[in-house]
Amino acid sequence: MSKYLDLSIREINDLLKKKEIKPIDLVEEAFERIEENAELNAFITLDKEQALKTAKELEDREVDNVLFGIPIAIKDNIVTKDLRTTCASHILDNFIPIYDATVIKKIKEKNMIIIGKTNMDEFAMGSTSQTSYFGAPHNPWDTKKVAGGSSGGSASCISARLVPLALGSDTGGSIRQPASYCGIVGMKPTYGRVSRYGLIAFGSSLDQIGPMTRNVYENALLLNVLCGRDENDLTSSHRESEDFTRMIGEDISGMKIAVPNFFISDIVSDEVRANLEAVIELLKKRGAIIEYVDIDYIENAVTLYQIIAMGEASSNLARFDGVRYGYSVADPKGVDELYALTRGEGFGEEVKRRIMVGSYLLSGENAKTYYAKALQIRKAIRDSFLKTFEKYDLIIGPNATTTAYNLGEGLDDPLKTFLDDVLVIPVNMAGLPGMNVPMGFGKNHLPIGLQIIGNKFDEAKMYKLAAFIEKELNLDLDPREVR
Amino acid sequence: MTDYKKTIGIEIHVELKTKTKIFSDSINGYGRTANSNVNVVDLGYPGTLPTLNVEVIRLALKAALILNCDINREMHFDRKNYFYPDLPKGYQITQFETPIGTDGYVEIEVNGDKKKIRIHDIHIEEDTCKSIHYKNHSFLDFNRAGVPLVEIVTEADMHSSEEAMAYVEKLRELFLYADISDCKIEEGSMRCDVNISVSKTEELGTRAEIKNIGSISNVGRAIEKEAERQIALLEKGEEIAFATYRYDEKNDATIMMRVKEAGNDYRYFPEPDIPFVLIDDTLIDDVKKTIPMLASERREKYMAFGISLLNANKIIQNRSLSNYLNKFLDSGIDLVIASNILLGDISFYLNKTGLDIESTKLTDEKFIDIVKRISSGELNSKVFKEILDELLEEDTSVEEIISRRGIKIINDPTELKTIIEKVIANNSASVNDYQNGNTRAIKFLMGQIMKETKGSANPELVNKLLEEELNK
Repeated sequence: MSKYLDLSIREINDLLKKKEIKPIDLVEEAFERIEENAELNAFITLDKEQALKTAKELEDREVDNVLFGIPIAIKDNIVTKDLRTTCASHILDNFIPIYDATVIKKIKEKNMIIIGKTNMDEFAMGSTSQTSYFGAPHNPWDTKKVAGGSSGGSASCISARLVPLALGSDTGGSIRQPASYCGIVGMKPTYGRVSRYGLIAFGSSLDQIGPMTRNVYENALLLNVLCGRDENDLTSSHRESEDFTRMIGEDISGMKIAVPNFFISDIVSDEVRANLEAVIELLKKRGAIIEYVDIDYIENAVTLYQIIAMGEASSNLARFDGVRYGYSVADPKGVDELYALTRGEGFGEEVKRRIMVGSYLLSGENAKTYYAKALQIRKAIRDSFLKTFEKYDLIIGPNATTTAYNLGEGLDDPLKTFLDDVLVIPVNMAGLPGMNVPMGFGKNHLPIGLQIIGNKFDEAKMYKLAAFIEKELNLDLDPREVR
Repeated sequence: MTDYKKTIGIEIHVELKTKTKIFSDSINGYGRTANSNVNVVDLGYPGTLPTLNVEVIRLALKAALILNCDINREMHFDRKNYFYPDLPKGYQITQFETPIGTDGYVEIEVNGDKKKIRIHDIHIEEDTCKSIHYKNHSFLDFNRAGVPLVEIVTEADMHSSEEAMAYVEKLRELFLYADISDCKIEEGSMRCDVNISVSKTEELGTRAEIKNIGSISNVGRAIEKEAERQIALLEKGEEIAFATYRYDEKNDATIMMRVKEAGNDYRYFPEPDIPFVLIDDTLIDDVKKTIPMLASERREKYMAFGISLLNANKIIQNRSLSNYLNKFLDSGIDLVIASNILLGDISFYLNKTGLDIESTKLTDEKFIDIVKRISSGELNSKVFKEILDELLEEDTSVEEIISRRGIKIINDPTELKTIIEKVIANNSASVNDYQNGNTRAIKFLMGQIMKETKGSANPELVNKLLEEELNK
């Protein structure tokens, strides 16, 4: 079996340019790896036939960019033309989109090869990917553990080296937390950096698509391709494209870094705190200035998130009514029964719970009591973050309070998954960029991740620090060595 | 029965005349093949997001300005959540918290009395798709889904069916003239919902909502019938249900559709997919410039030039004729004659051919020339009618057409006198009739003279000379 997919993307690019390998070699290798690791359940739908066909077509083309011919996996809440997109839900398990999301168009323009659609929590609602209609994906470091969520499939397939690139989406930590659990690099860009057109909406004011990769440099390369103003998404930013790799390798001495006290409080497990403290020591030694700060209302972020995300979700998911696409119950007696049975049978428990809670929160006077109030406090959180960034370059902390836990755990406690996201949610509330870079291992040799939070549109600076830490720690992040 | 006072408020939905829909680039067009103007956004496909058609903002702003509203400088859209098959996203994007205009008014006139009807607000929203029911099937036409609407909500300021009709007519006229909408009630581009209650005291009665009334006259009928029904119930000591009705034209009665449940819960919240829209002075000034002379102002001007109210209204009903006439307001020509020929022979020609006046060959110079010749008597109506087709279809000047036809108007009194004397000599019976008091006989004599001159005599001059001759 070839090992091209263990090479860096730069190395693969050289081989492709020299015609020593062809894109089809990479695609075939990816499918071999996926088939060998089928128990990870990282994918919902594979697109082998089309991927091979695309690879063949690329053989005659000039290798015109560094991501040319590289296999990529797409989270299954991003619509792909002619390729089934399920959101890990029964209600969309027969849904074949007739258009491409903006990010998919960009990926196709750069001639990356889409391998398949990755597993996730149903409609991205969860923190372990266990709410998937297709069963949970597993953690490559220990297959009894969760891969995290909701982008669990994307994290799992990158960690296991099945493909080098993947897309995730992050509404309340759904890129960063699974990246932390699986020991990979994941970036949730600034809200508006990447077009949401074609991302099946969960919490519209929070959702953001981002890259999930084996290392920092390749993450920045993929983000280079994804961002830019999209006229189809009014919330997308007008900022010019930039090279996010440009600061990688720069010296970090003199960088001012804040650590929120909340991020090292007793909500965090000892081993996570110990790893964070080690990183802080390292950074200090290399000339960075570390200070401890307080961010207003950060401890309320989870509550606010529940109100905003569930309120928006209850409205966003109303379109799945069995009238135009997706699952539709056979022979309903009238339109009310069509709705009730289609939605009752089509959605899973967690999704139904969130729709109901969200509907309640927006109902009558509650919209003022809860939703409008939540938007106010959200603004206060954002302001507090922005004030912190007047004095500091970056903020750091952990992404998860613990390492990955056992599959099956937490299913009977709907609140647990939210509390797990206590460290990642504030970033979505503030619309800021946040990322995960691995910083060590816990006692069961499960990965622990560092969260880096930047000022809005300051992703390049985050990559600079992340690349420094990656290089200094030089961790062995290939789970196959362990197993 | 007469001591009951009616209280009426009206909600009107108007489709805006834009090229494309409000939140997607699909064509906004009526009467096309079902589901031909549709894309993934209109269908509410998963992952799609709304865009915002700037033309909609401009037209809605124009409407708000015409209705004398305060403008919400910082406005956003809201989601109105409910399930219905004609609502593809499961919510309608509308404006709830920040309507584009608030606190305006419209002035109406009923039996000579002027009155201001207060506008509570005007807001922008998207239309739903159209349901068509056939046997036990329902079909959906998404062409209408996402067509831009404004909804205009009045205060409950009207107290008679006449006032209500005058308000609807006035609003139609305003929007038609400002080119905001084509306001065709029969095609659904203007839809009226009427709220009405009756009461003997200052305290308002329970209101009924009559939905989607199909014509302005039916607005009046529906109000009368609903008021009668409510009064009859109250007289019997019964209560009025808070409900939605429709007006059935065949039976001339309001028919209940559904009882309203207290406090419909639409779970409104700000639309997160569309950022706030900022309306600044530059935009407002810019839009103000696009507001043309409105109907009431036109009517006043026309009447000041001596045009009758009837004719002024007839012209105003046809915006392109009115715009045409307006080009000559300062030209010094006789506008009474101008309006008469526009409403008479020219309208007849336009109706016959289906043409718009601007697409004929009737240039401004030609029109001025014609009106001047008619006022001076150089051209009479008979000849004008004869050469009308040539005037409107050819590039040739009036002068050329007249000379080509060999038409010469006889204005020479000596020449005319000779002919008049000849006709009098040959028609002594009619002359006797006239002299015995039958004044109509003069018409016969006039006809004979015109026949003798092949219609080329100046009729006013002939009339004058003939009378002189007969009364000698």
